[in-house]
Amino acid sequence: MIKVNHLKKSFGKNEVLKDINEEFNQGEVVVVIGPSGSGKSTFLRCLNLLEEPTEGEIVFEGTTLTGLKEKDLNQLRQKMGMVFQQFNLFPHKTAKENLTIAPIKSKGTSQNEADQKAVQLLRQVGLGDKEDAYPASLSGGQQQRVAIARALAMDPDVMLFDEPTSALDPEMVGEVLKVMKDLAQSGMTMVVVTHEMGFAREVADRVLFMDDGLIVEQGTPDAIFSAPKHARTQDFLSKVL
Amino acid sequence: MKKSIKGIIALLILMSTFMIPGTSASAEDGSALQRVQDAGVLVVGTSADFPPFEFYAVVDGERQVVGMDMMIAQKIADDLGVELQIEDIGFDSLLPALEARNVDVIIAGMTPTAERRRSVDFSDIYFQTFQNVMVRAEDEEVYPTIESLSGLTVGVQTGSLQESLAEQIPDAEVMSLTDLNDLLLALKTNRIEAIVMQGPNAEAHAGNDPDLHTFVGDFELDGDDEGSAIAFRQGEDSLVEAVNESLAEIAEQNLTDDYLATAGEYMAQEAGDDGFVASYWEYFWDGTLITLLISALGVIFGLIIGSLLALMRLSKQVLVRFPATAYVEFVRGTPLLIQVMFIYFASGMFFNLPALIAGIIAVSLNSGAYIAEIIRGGINSVNKGQDEAARSLGMSKKQTMRHIVFPQALKNIWPALGNEFITIIKESSIVSVIGVGELIFQTRVVRSISFQGILPLFVTMLIYFVLTYTLTKLLNFYEGRMNHD
Ligand SMILES: Nc1ncnc2c1ncn2[C@@H]1O[C@H](COP(=O)(O)OP(=O)(O)O)[C@@H](O)[C@H]1O
Ligand SMILES: [Mg+2]
Repeated sequence: MIKVNHLKKSFGKNEVLKDINEEFNQGEVVVVIGPSGSGKSTFLRCLNLLEEPTEGEIVFEGTTLTGLKEKDLNQLRQKMGMVFQQFNLFPHKTAKENLTIAPIKSKGTSQNEADQKAVQLLRQVGLGDKEDAYPASLSGGQQQRVAIARALAMDPDVMLFDEPTSALDPEMVGEVLKVMKDLAQSGMTMVVVTHEMGFAREVADRVLFMDDGLIVEQGTPDAIFSAPKHARTQDFLSKVL
Repeated sequence: MKKSIKGIIALLILMSTFMIPGTSASAEDGSALQRVQDAGVLVVGTSADFPPFEFYAVVDGERQVVGMDMMIAQKIADDLGVELQIEDIGFDSLLPALEARNVDVIIAGMTPTAERRRSVDFSDIYFQTFQNVMVRAEDEEVYPTIESLSGLTVGVQTGSLQESLAEQIPDAEVMSLTDLNDLLLALKTNRIEAIVMQGPNAEAHAGNDPDLHTFVGDFELDGDDEGSAIAFRQGEDSLVEAVNESLAEIAEQNLTDDYLATAGEYMAQEAGDDGFVASYWEYFWDGTLITLLISALGVIFGLIIGSLLALMRLSKQVLVRFPATAYVEFVRGTPLLIQVMFIYFASGMFFNLPALIAGIIAVSLNSGAYIAEIIRGGINSVNKGQDEAARSLGMSKKQTMRHIVFPQALKNIWPALGNEFITIIKESSIVSVIGVGELIFQTRVVRSISFQGILPLFVTMLIYFVLTYTLTKLLNFYEGRMNHD
């Protein structure tokens, strides 16, 4: 579904991604782990071209995204939902409006249809009673669930998560992980950057370990967590587990 | 400071002459009279704070510039068979306005000094005058002659003939101010001991103010410097000749005596004893309306210009960004005063833009630059995550700006825009230099006709405060209602 060929990304002289080759398949849940600053966010943001790769190509559902015209890129981005560490909800819109604005404006969905879908999605993430609430009046966990619902409102084929629980108070992590687990079970293709090793073990089909701009090691959760081969993986896991 | 403004005006004129070839003054001869008659109107520049020669009075329920000079202007216009149009401009700006073709002639009790003759032509002298010294009434006995003032501080109007006469007072320290009313105030508050003033003007003031006393000064005048004459652009001899004919008639029939008598009646009428507010509220009201008009239009047009500039400055294209940046930096880096004068005088070279329009254009162009920065700042203050979230949902750049970023930016823009409005209300007073009848201008008018120095200033201060304070409160109220969180 997503194919990454020789992806490189530099910020000025700082080479953050160094030749990454990877493929994500339909229905697969892939968890990306690694030390802070290793390039996980940059990698994820290159997948939907929020960050422009310096070299290499991203192929999504058979279309090469790199070098694509603005308009076509917008179309394809609709198929790739993204959830941010800081939620990034639109503060001037209610929960429901957060879900309807993009379908209405960029897909041409009717207000009515978008509203119905929004209500249903908010219910799905356990926030059926919050449709008219503004983000500022919601807790962090609730905001992140609205953000997930907002991405789902576009009917994406894949969902990208960048440390979705890192900015949350510990007691709210569970409710967000639960929504993500449900989503995984429904067959959604997911790429998740997270430090929640429990979630990785339980839900991931595959775990990638990134360090210093490279995917150093990958495998099933079992293989990575129980028998890491690479010294850097062992070192990292010994610190977080 | 006044000197530097004059220098700058001269520079502006010089610049515009270079920019527009073929406007050199001497090309006009023979056609000047024809031009005025073709236009059917004689545009006379004056500075209406100089009773009994030019000042404001209510005639047939309408406020207009009256006085001896204006009656002479009317006679000239009648003789030429054209309409009379009077432009009231600050005295300092009169010569530039003449050269920049904002007016045809200047009739403002102007003395044809040798220095002025270098840049303009003059008619015959139409009024022989004498030079007075003004002192406080209580000092009548202390300062009976100009010699008695030796070594003391003496006030004069900037750029006036009196400025050079004051040098005849031995060892006197000369203080020069632009506005005659400020000089009178300085005298009454003991900052200066005397003012050298044009005779009839001094008598008009002393006659209306028991605190003042005036006497004819024993100055040595050189022939040329005596009296008032009408100023023309150089080389417009046909017009000068025609005007001189009218002036000769006025002299023959001794019309100036009648004119002065009529002016005296207007002065008595305007100094009326209905109480200050009752007599002059209309001036303040008109001034307030014009100030608000200029400020409101300045903000509205400024908003349009500013939005455009802000979008240009946010562009990734250098060629789009650069002109906007250059404009903003240039406008913010130069005083509004010069911008106002530049627009007014430079436009005078091409067509006759009314001062009010020129003022509004200048204020709009100026506020556009500031508002551009307010908008840009507002947009930049919106968290980058907002843009990314919208783009990741497939919204285009334009949709993202319009539906996500800009509405949030507005929250920061509104209060700053309100502040800009308040700033403009205060700064728009600068357009009074080109004779726009806003609040400061009207204050000057009231000071000259009421013979009151301080009270009009106080009233004006109060009006400005009420305007800005009310606006601040209103803005706070709406700002409070706009916040969701
Ligand atoms: N916009 C940017 N400009 C410059 N450097 C950046 C930018 N984004 C990330 N980096 C740098 O790239 C490196 C990897 O960052 P990131 O992808 O955020 O790592 P991770 O998500 O694994 O913590 C870091 O050294 C970071 O400083
Ligand atoms: Mg990160």
